[in-house]
Amino acid sequence: MNILLLVIFVVFAVAALLTLWRIVTGPSILDRAVASDVLLTEVMCVLGAEMAINQHTRTLPVLLIIAAVGVFGSISIARFVARKDNADR
Amino acid sequence: MILATAPIEVTASPLDAVLDTVALVLILVGALLCLTAAIGLLRFRDVPTRLHAATKPQVLGLIVICIAIALSLRSWAVLAFIVPIVLIQLATAPLSAHMVGRQAYRNGTLDRAALYTDELRASKETPPAAGG
Repeated sequence: MNILLLVIFVVFAVAALLTLWRIVTGPSILDRAVASDVLLTEVMCVLGAEMAINQHTRTLPVLLIIAAVGVFGSISIARFVARKDNADR
Repeated sequence: MILATAPIEVTASPLDAVLDTVALVLILVGALLCLTAAIGLLRFRDVPTRLHAATKPQVLGLIVICIAIALSLRSWAVLAFIVPIVLIQLATAPLSAHMVGRQAYRNGTLDRAALYTDELRASKETPPAAGG
């Protein structure tokens, strides 16, 4: 059981670090937007996993709010890139 | 915390242990999906292929983790909280993916040589009322 928990922690940490590396070195702003969206989803997954492991329900509203609001980051970045593109023409 | 969990372990049935183990395995599956998305983000070349990798934990990973939460907590109130979370995520993940993918097409941050078909360019070249 403990080994399974350790594997879960290591996999989450490695995934977060790789995603963070793509955010740092993304060639375009859209790559960074996609990578930050993945990082936000991973935060949701980590919160849910912690809730299931420790058997409490305190972070369920946080999950709901992130699921509802987290989409606006990528959408606003996409709109911002569009405006900048139209100004260049 | 220790005082609260001690009586539960005394009265734990074999079914509870099985459900907890299944929940841990499901969490591991969700974590592996997150790792898959991260590896895909690192190794793919342009925005639409990275978007393809990014949608794995956004939908399937979150569903798996939510099933793990429901199996671990075993209450109807938690299930009533989790179902809207999954439905909202299913509704909003294609929104951002669509916007980012369309902007990647307009921005030119995609590898045009790797496209098999380009239906958006064909529909742009044809006027809307051309009947074609």
